[in-house]
Amino acid sequence: MEAFSLLFTGLATVLQPSHFMMIVIGLAVGVIAGALPGISFVNAMAMALPFTYMMSPLDSMSFLGGIYVGGVFGGSISAILINIPGTPASLPACWDGYPMTKQGKSGRALTIAIAASATGGIFSALMLTFAAPPFAKFALRFDQPEFFAATFLGLVSIIAVAKSAPWISFLSLFIGLAIGTIGVDPLYGIPRLTFGVNDAQSGINFVVVMIGLFALGEVVEMLAKSEAVAKIQGKIRFERPKFVEMWALRWSVMRGTAIGSVIGMIPGAGATVGAVIAYGVEKQASPRGAEFGTGVPDGLTAPEAAKNATTGAAMIPLLTLGIPGSAATAIMMAALVLKGVTPGPMLFSMQTDLVYSIFASMLLANILMIIAGVVIARGFSHFMRVPPAILSGFIVVLSVLGAYGVRNNIFDVYVCMVFGVIGYLMKRYNFPAAPLILGVILGPLAERYFLTSLANYDNNLAIFVQRPISGTILGMSVAFIIWATLPSLIKKYRQRKAGVVA
Amino acid sequence: MKTLSSFAKKALIGAVIASGLAGAVQAQEKYPSRPIEIVVSFGPGGGADAMGRKLSQLLEPVLKVPLPVSNISGASGNAGLTKLVTNPADGYTVATLIALSVSSWAAGLGTAKPDDFTIVAITQNSPSMLFVPMDSPFKTFKDLLNHAKANPGAVKVATSGYGTQDDITLMYFNSQGYKLTNVPFAKPAERYASPLGKHTDAIYEEPGDVAQFLTGKQLRPLVVFDDERHASFPDVPNSKELGFSISDLPNFRTVAVPSKTPKDRVDILAAAINKVMETPEWKKFCAETYSCVTKRYAPAEAGAYVKEFYVATQNHLKAMKK
Repeated sequence: MEAFSLLFTGLATVLQPSHFMMIVIGLAVGVIAGALPGISFVNAMAMALPFTYMMSPLDSMSFLGGIYVGGVFGGSISAILINIPGTPASLPACWDGYPMTKQGKSGRALTIAIAASATGGIFSALMLTFAAPPFAKFALRFDQPEFFAATFLGLVSIIAVAKSAPWISFLSLFIGLAIGTIGVDPLYGIPRLTFGVNDAQSGINFVVVMIGLFALGEVVEMLAKSEAVAKIQGKIRFERPKFVEMWALRWSVMRGTAIGSVIGMIPGAGATVGAVIAYGVEKQASPRGAEFGTGVPDGLTAPEAAKNATTGAAMIPLLTLGIPGSAATAIMMAALVLKGVTPGPMLFSMQTDLVYSIFASMLLANILMIIAGVVIARGFSHFMRVPPAILSGFIVVLSVLGAYGVRNNIFDVYVCMVFGVIGYLMKRYNFPAAPLILGVILGPLAERYFLTSLANYDNNLAIFVQRPISGTILGMSVAFIIWATLPSLIKKYRQRKAGVVA
Repeated sequence: MKTLSSFAKKALIGAVIASGLAGAVQAQEKYPSRPIEIVVSFGPGGGADAMGRKLSQLLEPVLKVPLPVSNISGASGNAGLTKLVTNPADGYTVATLIALSVSSWAAGLGTAKPDDFTIVAITQNSPSMLFVPMDSPFKTFKDLLNHAKANPGAVKVATSGYGTQDDITLMYFNSQGYKLTNVPFAKPAERYASPLGKHTDAIYEEPGDVAQFLTGKQLRPLVVFDDERHASFPDVPNSKELGFSISDLPNFRTVAVPSKTPKDRVDILAAAINKVMETPEWKKFCAETYSCVTKRYAPAEAGAYVKEFYVATQNHLKAMKK
């Protein structure tokens, strides 16, 4: 096995202290940035880019790879502890992770999250190492209709989030979709719903909406109740993951990893879509699906595994084809190109050592993430014990910084504030916010894929079901909708029938 | 009372001295004396970003001040340009201004006009080309056109959108009897993946943006939309020699400041950029991105060049609407 020996040579290289330190520093930066509400790993990577100017190509990739891997996980720390997703991909971690915290099981939730994320990440790093070229070929067969179908499945997954009120969730989703259409349309260049506001032409950024709805909304709620944080006042104990317990979650980990590995290769989709779909699928597949949302470990495990499984997968098209599918991989590509290293098929034959060293550093980063995750999560849990007034002040500052940092635009800060108020009101009146944010994230993607598909296939609407992969995914989506709405429809029908008889 | 008045006197003297000093400093302030912000009007990782970062790196030793880069993306680069014109016109904010943004104004996007900016320098320029996958059945541009003539609409070209230079070029061929289908992709990565996966037949792009696919032998060029052949691709025919006149839509990248910026500061910046463009580092960079500019434009000429492009795009769009 040539790949094995190349990987071991790569491991020997990245275990040298200087390279090793870059991974560790990257991980620490990533986990902290990810865990801080408002600051995402993409912000952190963009800020880190100038520091890579003077590094070797391997060091810069180790550093950025560490931030990427650590940051994708880090968001779950704040999601689990204070119900604020540190990055969009950690949104599903709020749904079953935070309920566990409320039950006093935050240590357990964090342990599961770290173990699942690391497993997903390690698997995808191995996939990157041993199967990158064939997977890249497979990924190229996906065209816009398949991307559209996958995004549509993500949108439908919100039904999995809706516990009892599918119709209100739909309403929330459609509001999100409408917000997503604000700004200059991506293909025709026509401004929509901008109401003459010039700044609105660039659109409403989903990260800004998320920070507003979840971070600011939660802060107002925290201050209004001033007891929300009290629940985790008790000491957080990190249980060593019991093998038996983790073994029981093996199917959830595997399902999440598989979904994340495939979604990660799709340009544009990435960790958030992967995690949301994994949650939706897990709800259907898990025997405890009906209890999701009440702190079920399966519901935390699958999206955690999925989002970190997207990291290695996203690097496959980058390294094998030279196609950066996300903001994070685009920054990595910029770092490589600045060094005169061109990602693509030639890289494998010309600089095999570098490629395998990058693989090795991704693998190592995912393993070391377990330690970084535990240490930093422990630090954060101490931090969460400061009085709510101080903690919320801190979160507000970070939120404003984060909203500004997305595009260096003060307009985004105002948008964030508005959504902070909306987020609080939604919480107050039990109007689900998660479908709204998914609408804002996925709506523009779905629209783009839909329009490009039609342009490419003679405006033939049937193309989405004619193509086997997209047809299958859309079939799954329809099954999801029926599954979620049928019980309430049947109930209504029976009630009406009973009424007629009576 | 006495202490107070003496304090007041001292304060007054102090204030007079201070204001005098400040006035003197203002009168002979050396430009640049503090960091100059480079606003890159697109996100990290793209062509404009690479240019901004390279300039930041190479201008620092010339101007002796740091030049931090900030990415302000959105609305075809107009979000970053809005930031530029709303900042003080003192030469301490410069921005990347590229052909795509100018053609977006011509298409009616935003409120910016060429007169809002002074173009400090045209730093990169490249004609667009048509590329096909390495194993495409189309050996020459004529092959592709003949297929399009025989099967109208069957040849699909990946582009960056409607109303763009890409679209204008395809419309031109349409008017010549070759119906090519425009398949627009908003995101560059998706646009590049499409011909590689054989979902589209060709891609319209400038060579620098697909450099990795050219070195990777995944794409090959068929034609360059210019009146001359491209120095880096001497074997690729140009559109003029094939009998087509669609060469007035180059992809230029410039450095711009608001039009109210003092002329002496614009000249200092222009001189510094011209110096950078003579360095071996820059020459290597522009060669790798197939975008070297041989002519050195003075700010007034550069402005005229951009305006000419704006008018040409407007005329094309008007002709298309008919």
